[in-house]
Amino acid sequence: MDRIIFGDNQFFGINHMSEEKAQAQSERFKDLDSVIKVIDTAYDCGIHAFMFNTHERVGQLCDHFRANPEKYSDLRLYPSMPYAHKYANAVNEKGMVGALNEFVFAGRSAGQALKTIVRGGLSVINQDMIQVMKLLVDAEMRMFHGLNVKAIFLQNIVTDLLLGMGVKEVFVGFSDHIKKTYGVDAAFNSMNMPKLVDFLIDSGIENPIVCSSINKAGYLMQPSIGEYEKTLEEKTFRPMAMSILASGAVPPKEAVEYVAGNKNIKSIVFGASSKNHIQQTKDLIDQYTN
Amino acid sequence: MLRGAIIGFGRMGLTHFSILNNHPEVNFVAVCDPSSFLMKNISKYADIETFQDYRKMIDKMDLDFVIVATPTGAHAENVKYAIEKGLHVFVEKPFSLNSTQGRELVDLVGGKDIVNQVGYVVRFNDVFLEVKKLLDAGALGDLITFKMEMHGPTLLKDAKSGWRSKKKEGGGCLYDFASHSIDLINYLVGVPDEITGSVLQSIHSVDVEDAISSTFLYKNNLRGNLLVNWSEPSYRKPAYKMEIFGRKGKIVADLHAYKVFFRDEPELDGFNQGWNQCYVTDFVEPVRFYVRGFEFTRQLDHFIACIVNKSANKVCSFADGLKTDTVIERIVEDAAKRRF
Repeated sequence: MDRIIFGDNQFFGINHMSEEKAQAQSERFKDLDSVIKVIDTAYDCGIHAFMFNTHERVGQLCDHFRANPEKYSDLRLYPSMPYAHKYANAVNEKGMVGALNEFVFAGRSAGQALKTIVRGGLSVINQDMIQVMKLLVDAEMRMFHGLNVKAIFLQNIVTDLLLGMGVKEVFVGFSDHIKKTYGVDAAFNSMNMPKLVDFLIDSGIENPIVCSSINKAGYLMQPSIGEYEKTLEEKTFRPMAMSILASGAVPPKEAVEYVAGNKNIKSIVFGASSKNHIQQTKDLIDQYTN
Repeated sequence: MLRGAIIGFGRMGLTHFSILNNHPEVNFVAVCDPSSFLMKNISKYADIETFQDYRKMIDKMDLDFVIVATPTGAHAENVKYAIEKGLHVFVEKPFSLNSTQGRELVDLVGGKDIVNQVGYVVRFNDVFLEVKKLLDAGALGDLITFKMEMHGPTLLKDAKSGWRSKKKEGGGCLYDFASHSIDLINYLVGVPDEITGSVLQSIHSVDVEDAISSTFLYKNNLRGNLLVNWSEPSYRKPAYKMEIFGRKGKIVADLHAYKVFFRDEPELDGFNQGWNQCYVTDFVEPVRFYVRGFEFTRQLDHFIACIVNKSANKVCSFADGLKTDTVIERIVEDAAKRRF
């Protein structure tokens, strides 16, 4: 597990604080070169671990990594899937089954498609949710082929939706599939960390990796910052902190002090767009870690 | 424990199920959807009864409440059956296909102790809750103009299949998308007295509109403009922007932040003359369980609280849903007057 992981929300106009900022970011990062520039800045600052949503544009970024193996020889990736808006729009356009077909078979030749069907045990006909999930995971993972993947995350909207439904089999199925097919641990993003940790441990997933917002402001921490602190203290799991700045509500120094001050937090995910911010945050984390 | 069920297990049905499934006062006992794929998987992995006929479900399951999340065209018959059986009802937006249907349902709940709510979730958004408080406190003085804009990348190609592309089933930008912003106007500044200059435009769709503009006029001299487009590829997800201008100042709000300008030193605590920028992180409170946004949990917890406390729903009742349906109808009538 890397201590510092660089996040990618800023590249895709995702900002919980301000729609205006989100829009400005999506304008700034409209071409791939501007994204690569920031990634290279982080890489040069010594951050070699990156969490990427399975956004279409990350596919292009992965092509760039593969085309420059020497430059990125120490790259470590933490994919997070699925990029939910891609699915939501496809479901609106094509309905649930049409959207599934599109994602499972996108970019596949007839022969590959046939293999997918065989491997999926004709899951579309069997109509088994867990088999369909595995096909979707493999479809999402295609863009990362040949790259060094350290853990694979289930993105928070899907994690929390399934957590609310309480279907243990899907979490176990996801974990087993990731371990077996990709040789790494499955991991989970959530806005409801304490509940998820209990649920995963109950489901028999030992020492799970859980990434959630952890910040001094208690922002995006359900049901309360107190429950988060208690879970961090009492439960055996590998916590990762994101949204440490609470979208800007907590100043960087205080933010890092709070998160790095908790010895149980293994990893910190943060995103930034300027060299100054990247270097400053990394230095702060290093300073409070040692 | 309240015994609950869901009719319609699409994206919203799933979301509502997930949010309420672990509510301490709720025990979901059944779900109903015509899709055999979904029902087969739910019954396989969750301890819940599944149905493909909602009447059978309601008759058999001894329910306290239902969540109706079917396509709009089915709302009226689903809701009517549930009310007749005395169940509390939460129905997704928009309320119904036309005001005749809607009025019948409002009349039907009249005088009964039935909690009724329509899923206009933006009313429960943190920013708009704050905006409502400011307006109710008279912070802007007499209102003069407003502008409500809503843009999103919901439909970027002609959707030939599915109910969202069919006018008869409640599809189209006006019912399915703009209804949120129309409801927000009704909630924040009131139902317009006159509607004029309405234009419905198709961008990709054949049977329905993709963009709407309209002017709302009020007897107290307030004027507002509605501008909506759900075929906007430059947006990542649906976005609202509302500007309200009054004699004492102005509010500019979206789902994540608002700013307010006061012409003079305001009487409200925490605000100054000139611009005041307020972010959601300044005032948001965590919810019990989060899926997709604070407001989704807040609206359902409000519904359940009304049932548990035996109190009438004052935030987003069927009567409110009918008001929005009626404004939608008036926009359609007004747009039909165009001669070219």
